[in-house]
Amino acid sequence: MSLISFPFFIFMCCLLAAYYKAGEKHQWKILLIGSAFFYLCSNPLYIIFIIISIVSTWYLMRNPVRKNFMLTIAINLGLLIIFKYSVNLGVHDLIAPLGISFYTFMTLGYAHDCYDRKIKPSDNLWHYALFISYFPQLTQGPIGTYQDMQDQLTAYHPFDLQKIKTGAYRIIIGVFKKMVIAGRVAFYIDTVYSSPKGYGGLTLIVATLFYLVEMYADFSGYMDIVCGVSEMLGIRLKENFRRPYFSKSIPEYWRRWHISLNEWFNTHLFMPSVTTKWNKKVANILSRFFPKAKKGTLRLIVPTIIVWIITGVWHGAQASYLGWGIYFAFIMLVSFCTQSGVKKFNAKIHWNPENIFVKIFQVVRTLVFLSFGEIIYRSERFSDTIAIFKNIFTDTRINGAEIAAAMTPFGNGNQAAASMIIIVILVTAQFIVELMKEKDEKAFTGHRYIYAFAMLVVIALFGVAGKSNFMYQAF
Amino acid sequence: MKKVIITVLAAFIVIISAVAFKNVYSCEMPIKNRGIRDAISSGDLDVLFIGSSTFRANVDMPMMDKAYDGRVYDISYGGNQLVATSIQYDELKRRSDDRYGLIVFELGPMMITQKVALSDSRVIWDLSWEGKKALWQSMYEAGNTDLPMMYEYFVTSGMDDLITFPVTEPFYGTRYYKGAKTGETGSPGKEWLEGEEFDISDKELVQAQADAVVDIIRKCRNDGQSFIFVESPCYYRLQEDPTFRKYKEEFVRILEENDAPYISASDVDFDTHNADYFEDMNHMSAEGRRAYTAELIRVLETQPEGQVPAD
Repeated sequence: MSLISFPFFIFMCCLLAAYYKAGEKHQWKILLIGSAFFYLCSNPLYIIFIIISIVSTWYLMRNPVRKNFMLTIAINLGLLIIFKYSVNLGVHDLIAPLGISFYTFMTLGYAHDCYDRKIKPSDNLWHYALFISYFPQLTQGPIGTYQDMQDQLTAYHPFDLQKIKTGAYRIIIGVFKKMVIAGRVAFYIDTVYSSPKGYGGLTLIVATLFYLVEMYADFSGYMDIVCGVSEMLGIRLKENFRRPYFSKSIPEYWRRWHISLNEWFNTHLFMPSVTTKWNKKVANILSRFFPKAKKGTLRLIVPTIIVWIITGVWHGAQASYLGWGIYFAFIMLVSFCTQSGVKKFNAKIHWNPENIFVKIFQVVRTLVFLSFGEIIYRSERFSDTIAIFKNIFTDTRINGAEIAAAMTPFGNGNQAAASMIIIVILVTAQFIVELMKEKDEKAFTGHRYIYAFAMLVVIALFGVAGKSNFMYQAF
Repeated sequence: MKKVIITVLAAFIVIISAVAFKNVYSCEMPIKNRGIRDAISSGDLDVLFIGSSTFRANVDMPMMDKAYDGRVYDISYGGNQLVATSIQYDELKRRSDDRYGLIVFELGPMMITQKVALSDSRVIWDLSWEGKKALWQSMYEAGNTDLPMMYEYFVTSGMDDLITFPVTEPFYGTRYYKGAKTGETGSPGKEWLEGEEFDISDKELVQAQADAVVDIIRKCRNDGQSFIFVESPCYYRLQEDPTFRKYKEEFVRILEENDAPYISASDVDFDTHNADYFEDMNHMSAEGRRAYTAELIRVLETQPEGQVPAD
């Protein structure tokens, strides 16, 4: 059941009615039934796998000893690997159960926290089941933590019209981003990236920039919708984006993009790896080759490589994802290793980091490095990646014919210019909103009815209908 | 709650108004150099082409102008279909009392294999409400409609053009002359044309498109309208493709069964092996366009009485 569909609208109306009608004791049960129904609507048979994950993890982690923890990891990762990499393992091309990546992360996070005695294991299977299966965060996150979610999910939430309105407004923003911005640029990107060799540098640059726009509008749009849905139920989900394209460095970008996933990797993989004995040994070996390097920095090298390769492979077993992971591991390592040197150099040349031009330079530089990574990620073949980079750097013509050619992926000549103008206006409007919010978090919080009116009109008249699948759903 | 209701209601009114305006009045927008409205405003015509982008690219309008004293026009849309062509013919007859000496329809062999659909949002723009409904009905009868498509057809399609009309129309207007392309497009070269991959082997006859050919013939006969079907030559690789030939034979069979006049690509003295003549497999370069148009004019003049423009 897509979040942008009439059946989901009906589902939400029924759920909200039942949820607020239910008494204090039964409200969370309605949520659990609703989540189960939502899951059953995707593929009824696959509910068995989420049940296996929930029951086994809950049961084993009631006694969070090392053996049980390892068994929990084996069961959950085993299921994930079977479904996600079945083709590569030569098994079968299985359809992965809805949200398996995301609920596996939540399950493993819960198990790790129990094992580390950071949280008390849940003593109620049904409460735990609701934490894992809570439908707004099930398919694409945010990856909630047990500490953040459990009390909220089981608490009583009386009807609050203000929350319904706030939630609905957030949903409108999400639908606008998805249907109007992501939906419209997707067509252009798909056209160019399906056969990039035939396009000039300018068109490929436009397509790559559009891809950044699409990723953000699609993913953050989804988050706006699920946060809005959850807000209507009185439950606050973790924010997953903080205007990542205004980041001044790649490490900062990854702290502002898909925040819950990066925090998960940081908490459950990166930090534990940094402090392991074997990593200290590796750092000691590396210090022989780099005697001037700080030991703390050397300890980051292997965990960074591991985390980024796993992040890449988590997206899928394609070489492009692996290449993307390696690329960002490299960028992150360069960033870590040069940090202190760059600071000293900046001080020497009196480089003021608060200067607006310095900030713009840093943001643009981050976007350029990010774009390179996304070219690797989005290319369908390695030869395409090479062709795109080659054309971008060698075919640098910018003239009337090239500008006209850059519009053609929108369709035939008759609609292309109009589509380009509309998308430029919409993206610029979205950019201004984000920029103002970057300066002041409270910007655009007033006059909500006017913005809602404008967005409803634009969604209805310029939205792309019939493409309600979100990009990250595939992962 | 009052504010919520007012917001939703106001948005609804604006949306409905914009959609109604687009669907009812788009055909009246002052579009220059292309489309049904501009063709009608040209008055009586000796020759009127109705076809796809092939006609748009392959017919040289200044040469046609010279041959027919300016009484010529080309109504063409990207991927235009036979079902849509039939509706465009109705539209023309309904909205105009002008005399059309000869209407030249496109004999595009692959046109009878196309799924009945909206191929170009310009079709939506140019059709009146009746025409829009008729085309939707054809798509519906062919089983090619669903809710998102209906939304796109009646609501979003062409909306970009409507909103950006003052900016984009002057730009578009310079790209066409009487519906045909004006650009001096060159050939990408023999190597490119030889290497270009295409696979049409999975194409199948779409009965609705084949029926539309018969429909066009019947309507013209009922109206006493002179007409002819013309096949525009393609690059030899496409022209000689077995699937292409199969559907050409099928198209020609329909025309002959109905005793309809036609000019095949082979009836025109035009070198389909000359790479300089083509922009891609079925669209000509400016050089090819002029060479073909000169021949087409000559061949049209040799057509028997009743199929040539009246004086």
